[in-house]
Amino acid sequence: MMTAIKIKAESVLGSEPADSAQVLRNLGLASKISVRQLNFFYGEHQALFDNQLDIAAHQVTAIIGPSGCGKSTHIRVYNRIYELYRDQRASGEVLLDGENILRSDYDVMELRRRVGMIFQKPTPFPMSIYDNVAYGLRMHYKISKSETADRVEEALKRAALWDEIKDHLRRPGTSLSGGQQQRLCIARTIVVEPEVLLMDEPCSAIDPIATAKIEELIDELKKQYTIVIVTHNMQQAARVSDFTAFFFQGRIVEFGPTRQIFTNPRKKQTESYLTGRFG
Amino acid sequence: MNRLQPRRPTGRKITNLLVAIWSVSSALLGIIILFWITQEVLWRGIRAIDLDFLTHLPTPPGVSGGGMVNALAGTAILTLLASVVAVPLGLWGGIFLAEFGQESRVADNCRFAANVLMGLPSIIVGVFAYALLVVPLKNFSGYAGALALAIIMLPVITRTTEDMLRLVPNTLREAALALGLPRWRVTLAIVFRGAKAGLLTGVLLAVARVSGETAPLLFTALNSPFWPRSLSEPMPNLTVTIFDYAMSPYPDWQSKAWGASLLITVGILILTLTTRWLLRERKR
Repeated sequence: MMTAIKIKAESVLGSEPADSAQVLRNLGLASKISVRQLNFFYGEHQALFDNQLDIAAHQVTAIIGPSGCGKSTHIRVYNRIYELYRDQRASGEVLLDGENILRSDYDVMELRRRVGMIFQKPTPFPMSIYDNVAYGLRMHYKISKSETADRVEEALKRAALWDEIKDHLRRPGTSLSGGQQQRLCIARTIVVEPEVLLMDEPCSAIDPIATAKIEELIDELKKQYTIVIVTHNMQQAARVSDFTAFFFQGRIVEFGPTRQIFTNPRKKQTESYLTGRFG
Repeated sequence: MNRLQPRRPTGRKITNLLVAIWSVSSALLGIIILFWITQEVLWRGIRAIDLDFLTHLPTPPGVSGGGMVNALAGTAILTLLASVVAVPLGLWGGIFLAEFGQESRVADNCRFAANVLMGLPSIIVGVFAYALLVVPLKNFSGYAGALALAIIMLPVITRTTEDMLRLVPNTLREAALALGLPRWRVTLAIVFRGAKAGLLTGVLLAVARVSGETAPLLFTALNSPFWPRSLSEPMPNLTVTIFDYAMSPYPDWQSKAWGASLLITVGILILTLTTRWLLRERKR
């Protein structure tokens, strides 16, 4: 299987930058998100240059690269969260199921329900564990109290947190440990039934055991969601992802199946980064 | 090259000691003065306070007994009325500055205006209320007094609200927005909750500040020896009463002024403690 991919990919790519759409097409995978000609600016400073990237549905795509290369900036466009800051803007197209989410008339709240995000630092809301999960659910759906309770329980179970906290649902979310808080945030995000999960270095602020739990969880969650994970931990990218995109100085240098990127990178920069020569 | 010789630590240790002495003595000075004032108010005030003081109307000079229940009620009414006006306005102003206006021109101007207003001597605010309400209506009134107090409270609440909301990390706003919550819900349900303690402290600080103000009441609410009957009449209040009584030649009145000072001090103390108690970390 892998050799077949490699040969196909080689014949398509040659020495040109990887065309992710082509890679996915060759593997018979549908793209959930297609990024076209994406440029991003912090005020005058341009952070992303002509990004082209396709994210395969129901697969885990890892985004790797050295600090400051635009990894987080890139996925923060997918749910338009950057709009909180008035000096940040994006141009180009980000197609979610073929629709450009950057159009100003695209409903941003519906977008964010469909495209959930887990952040680097766990950020429980200042309310109880139960309400942390129930809040978004009540806000997006009109459902009965008992169904809310069922769905909150289900989400906490899927986030592998239920057994640890089922007797303390009324405690404040902030009373949990860092790793538990991060799983609470995952539960809070999946309870509103998103289609895509964006994870912005979800394990960088938590301990190795909690990290292992969350990686296991990612494997479990990809059955239902399309996952994009930004990480500067290359082992993590190798462990959890199916595809990898390598970013350098705001550009996507290389994209391919994770195995291929890690064992046989096509670009010099990718190889240097993976072998630890910089970054 | 020669090996580098590390500096001798003597100079650093002396500097350290001097700075420590300086900061400890500054702190001590502040605390000593605070205790001195409090103790003085307590000793002199407690002698004037009895049941009559808390339940009776004032008596003319020379007539013993009497109290200042009317002034106590008046101050409570004035502060409450001013708070009803200034707290919501101030909170909304702070929300605008921190969440929506941010660095925009309008927000910058509002912030500047609030800062200037905060530094304005309170007697000038009193004169303003006098010109606005007392002169046209030809009558000192509770309304004018409450207006002056509200103007003093407004910038304090606005700025503390802004500061407290800005202390809430942006990661929390991002997390809430990323869940698809509309901006107003993020502010009211998430950010406000996160800043709850700070917001209440800000409001409390403003209330405490105005409940001790005298100058803005001098030509607005004035004072009165009777029960507060209507807001459109002169309003009895503790601070102007303290001013009048302390300036009077009668030892009995002077002693009552100490009593009233103690009342205000204790009132603010109770307010502070209640808020702290309400805000205590709930752990189950």
